[in-house]
Amino acid sequence: MTGLRFGLALAASALALGVAQAQEPKKGGTVHVVVQPEPPMLMQGLNQNGPTNMVAGNIYESLLRYNEKLEPQPSLAKSWEISPDAKVYTFKLQEGVTWHDGKPFTADDVVFTLDKFLREVHPRWRPIVNAQVDKIEKVDDLTVKITLKQPFGPMIMTQEVASAPMIPKHIYDGTDYRANPANNTPIGTGPFKLKEWKKGSYIHLVKNENYWLKGRPNLDEIYWQIIPDAAARAVAYETGKVDVLTGGSVDVYDVARLSKLPNTCMTTKGWEMFAPHAWLTPNVRNGILGNKQFRQGLMYAIDREFGREVVWGGLGKLPTGPISSKTKFYSDDVPKYAFDPKKAKELIKASGYKGETIRLLNLPYGETWTRWTEAIKQNLEDVGVKVQVENTDVPGWTQKASNWDFDLNFNFLYQLGDPAMGVARSYITSNIAKGNPFANVGGYSNPEVDKLFADAAIAPTDKERQELYTKVQKVLADELPVLWLLEMDFPTIYRCNVKNLVTTGVGVDDGFRDAWKE
Amino acid sequence: MSFLKRFARNRGALIGLTILVVVILFAIIAPQLYPQSPWRTVARPFLAPFVMDRFPLGTDTLGRDIASGLAHGARVSLTIGLVSTLVALLIGVPLGAIAGYAGGIVDDALMRFTEFFQTIPSFALAIVLVAILQPKLGSIVLAIGVVSWPPVARLVRGEVLSLKTREYVQAAITIGQPTARIIWSQVLPNTIAPIIVMGSLMIGSAILLESSLSFLGLGDPNLMSWGYMVGAGRTRLLDAWWISFFPGVAIFLTVLALNLAGEGLNDALNPRLARGRE
Amino acid sequence: MNLAQFLAGRLAKGIVVLFAIAVLNFFLIRAAPGDPAQVLAGEAGAADEQLLIQLRERFGLDQPLLTQLWVYLKGYLTFDLGFSYRQQQSVLSLILDRLPATLLLTGAAFIVSLGLGTLMGALAARRAGRWQDSVITTLALVFYATPLFWVALMSQIVFSLKLGLVPNVGYESIGANYTGLARALDIASHLVLPALTLGLFFTALYARMMRASMLEVAGADFVKTARAKGLAPGLVSRRHVARNAILPVVTLAGLQAGQLVGGAVLTETVFAWPGIGRLMFDALVQRDYSVLLGVFFMSSAMVVGFNILTDIVYRLADPRIEAVS
Repeated sequence: MTGLRFGLALAASALALGVAQAQEPKKGGTVHVVVQPEPPMLMQGLNQNGPTNMVAGNIYESLLRYNEKLEPQPSLAKSWEISPDAKVYTFKLQEGVTWHDGKPFTADDVVFTLDKFLREVHPRWRPIVNAQVDKIEKVDDLTVKITLKQPFGPMIMTQEVASAPMIPKHIYDGTDYRANPANNTPIGTGPFKLKEWKKGSYIHLVKNENYWLKGRPNLDEIYWQIIPDAAARAVAYETGKVDVLTGGSVDVYDVARLSKLPNTCMTTKGWEMFAPHAWLTPNVRNGILGNKQFRQGLMYAIDREFGREVVWGGLGKLPTGPISSKTKFYSDDVPKYAFDPKKAKELIKASGYKGETIRLLNLPYGETWTRWTEAIKQNLEDVGVKVQVENTDVPGWTQKASNWDFDLNFNFLYQLGDPAMGVARSYITSNIAKGNPFANVGGYSNPEVDKLFADAAIAPTDKERQELYTKVQKVLADELPVLWLLEMDFPTIYRCNVKNLVTTGVGVDDGFRDAWKE
Repeated sequence: MSFLKRFARNRGALIGLTILVVVILFAIIAPQLYPQSPWRTVARPFLAPFVMDRFPLGTDTLGRDIASGLAHGARVSLTIGLVSTLVALLIGVPLGAIAGYAGGIVDDALMRFTEFFQTIPSFALAIVLVAILQPKLGSIVLAIGVVSWPPVARLVRGEVLSLKTREYVQAAITIGQPTARIIWSQVLPNTIAPIIVMGSLMIGSAILLESSLSFLGLGDPNLMSWGYMVGAGRTRLLDAWWISFFPGVAIFLTVLALNLAGEGLNDALNPRLARGRE
Repeated sequence: MNLAQFLAGRLAKGIVVLFAIAVLNFFLIRAAPGDPAQVLAGEAGAADEQLLIQLRERFGLDQPLLTQLWVYLKGYLTFDLGFSYRQQQSVLSLILDRLPATLLLTGAAFIVSLGLGTLMGALAARRAGRWQDSVITTLALVFYATPLFWVALMSQIVFSLKLGLVPNVGYESIGANYTGLARALDIASHLVLPALTLGLFFTALYARMMRASMLEVAGADFVKTARAKGLAPGLVSRRHVARNAILPVVTLAGLQAGQLVGGAVLTETVFAWPGIGRLMFDALVQRDYSVLLGVFFMSSAMVVGFNILTDIVYRLADPRIEAVS
């Protein structure tokens, strides 16, 4: 009987893999991957930094995965049901799943994770569970029921591994989560286990022999190498030290060069869930930046295509508004801004700008961002806007952005699969709060926008949601609370004999469960 | 043999001086030579050098003229070198002079203070200072100055210690001249020579230090310095070597010139050490 | 004053300096914008007030500043360098993990530069004014005047990528599981580029120092006497000049040794060398206060230690110094 169920589970995941499954995977092998910067810790429930997610996605798992179209797929949940009133979600769990320490994974762990652990420590899950969820209950050992207070469209998108990693109850319940010594020896259900972490050098993961999905993982070992300098990372790939360069780990110019090497493949897939959206935030509290005409003038003044083509090496796509074209509910029925310095000058003049110096805060994430800052500074000076670039390190940037100490600030945010989760937060009045660089730091406030976002999140059907989101995109593209610059692509570069590397909308962060080496 | 003659006989020193003069001239006429901002995109990116006459050194990642950047960068880099050296001298010379002249407890305290600054690795301290004050021209200059003054203080102290015992200083003390005046008019003028030598070497180190800070992302993005240019082009060494090569050569030549001139100065001032005398 | 008294005095002064440095560092680092909790929360791409409060409590940042200072100093008195919440590890073990790599790198660079540098300097001084002198002096200047990181990147491209002679980054071949001699050779091949890059700069300093100091000593009375006695120039140069000229070199070596910890930030970054310098830089840009303070303290202690050592070597090498002090 278990055999049949496993067969079903296998079939389901094979479907998720789609075409990539055509070739029979080979067993064994080691893959070397670059991770940068070094993750602070691998306990994904407590830390969701980019590098942490990249490595920990192999150790931890969540109820669902998402394919490239962002449709939910089985992971620890074998199947799920949504009640007709869209308020009750019932998840059936896989059978025979064990934690890395051998203890069985059950509904108790799910309830503990979602209702207690993540509610206390996870900044993304906490607001959702507090605002939307009425109760989370165990029905039997392999069934969990989540009851919502009201319909919440994005609910099914919340179970991605970084947003809701399953945490072992037997290790964490009743302890001080952040001080638990087990944080150094993460225990998950994932296809790989942590073997060794040599700080400053590498993280070594080995195959979980008792993984619940039979026949997986294919690889024996993964080494995550920590190489701080971008140019050195490119050379390390070329000399064969590493096999996979994860998104953003080499300079954009190296992407084109490395992609041409023999046995080298490049993909921009695997970022659909995040769909990073880059923009400049004007601090609308600061004088002239509160003026809509002035902001529109800036938008016309910036040569966004130059940024895409030259600064980002032709990667990515120009955005039209707050929602990425890769995310659901995107609409291009909005006012658009082509590069037009003449129009920019007119608008800036009409706005009453008197030559005030605008402070432009550089994002300290490497050379490409600095080049972008320089290019935009030049664009703005060309239309007569005085710009002073401010440079800082990451903590300085976080501090200034969080405390609204800027005139114009670069940022890029993940869309997280649904506008209610990844988009609204940057524009709604209730999210104007100091202390968080990813809140509505520009201070834009418009009751109409607030209402549209609020209604759209809980509208019962997708059609109604689309109507509301179309409307809000139109309003925002006219008012420009932020100046959208680029729908970013973070290409993954890897040796072509590493197969099935990117199979989901979360990409490398979903782990190497299905990857194999030819 | 006069100082000038001795200096002129030193071929290295002359070469150094010549390079320096050229660099300084270049820096002075930069705005006339390249009236446009060096930040402006003027051609297609990655234009190789020696291909187009208008852009003899090629263009960088954003299509900016590297020759223009070099000229404007000369101003910035020399300024950073000069001003931060001045900062170091302003701290180091008085401290060293007071310590050497006063002796006793004052000397001990000031030397502990100096030691204190030498105890934290200087590059690490510079990084921390720039991070704290945030990367701006002022903070970079200050940080470089703060980490480079202790050797100056030690040098001046040593000189003062030996000068203090000379007859003319003793005479000034005996006739009751005020201490400040003795230090100012009798002691310091005689320490000028070694200070100038050291200063010329320090300008070079300061330019190098600024380039290292730039490399770590701690440069001032409003100023096109050579260090900034090298740092910005370093990821393209393989396929667009000229972006970081030319500013690298500029730094190299300037530091080299400063050292040659400094050493020539030293030899000319201290004939004892002059070369060719075995 | 005998050696024991001298040592005791120096030690006492050293401890005072270290204490002052510990306090100064504490306030210096707090002056930087941002704090570790904010950084950690910011990196996660999501943060709220509650997360920040939770993290600040973990870092002990919810305590008054003076209490934090007291806890920190009290820890140091008992040789407890604190705990990094970010890394979930004690600062001492973090430092000890990284120390071997740094000592290996800077030690190798130290030997290379000291050997090569003094040799070059001595040769140049003996041939002062002739072409050999010019060549060596120019070479030393080239080493000195080229930005270190540029040399580092160029050497990776030439020796690793183009010629394929040695690996470009890392401490050893990861996943190769070499043991014994094979491992030693593997580490040695990784060491070549960073040690040479780091060594070049100091080679230049030693060469210049040695040359200048030899010329200076050569003019001293006792050398003139030796020469007047009719000793062979080579013998004079070796026995009288070189031996005395070595003193300033000892000072420089003491200085360089003091920079063993934390003096190699750039080299370690470019070559992905898992040493203390990088630990320091990472801790700085993450505002991981306890780690940063720990590294600073360790490296200051090293400097103080080496200063004392240098003084001792000085006294042993040159008895005149005792009379002066």
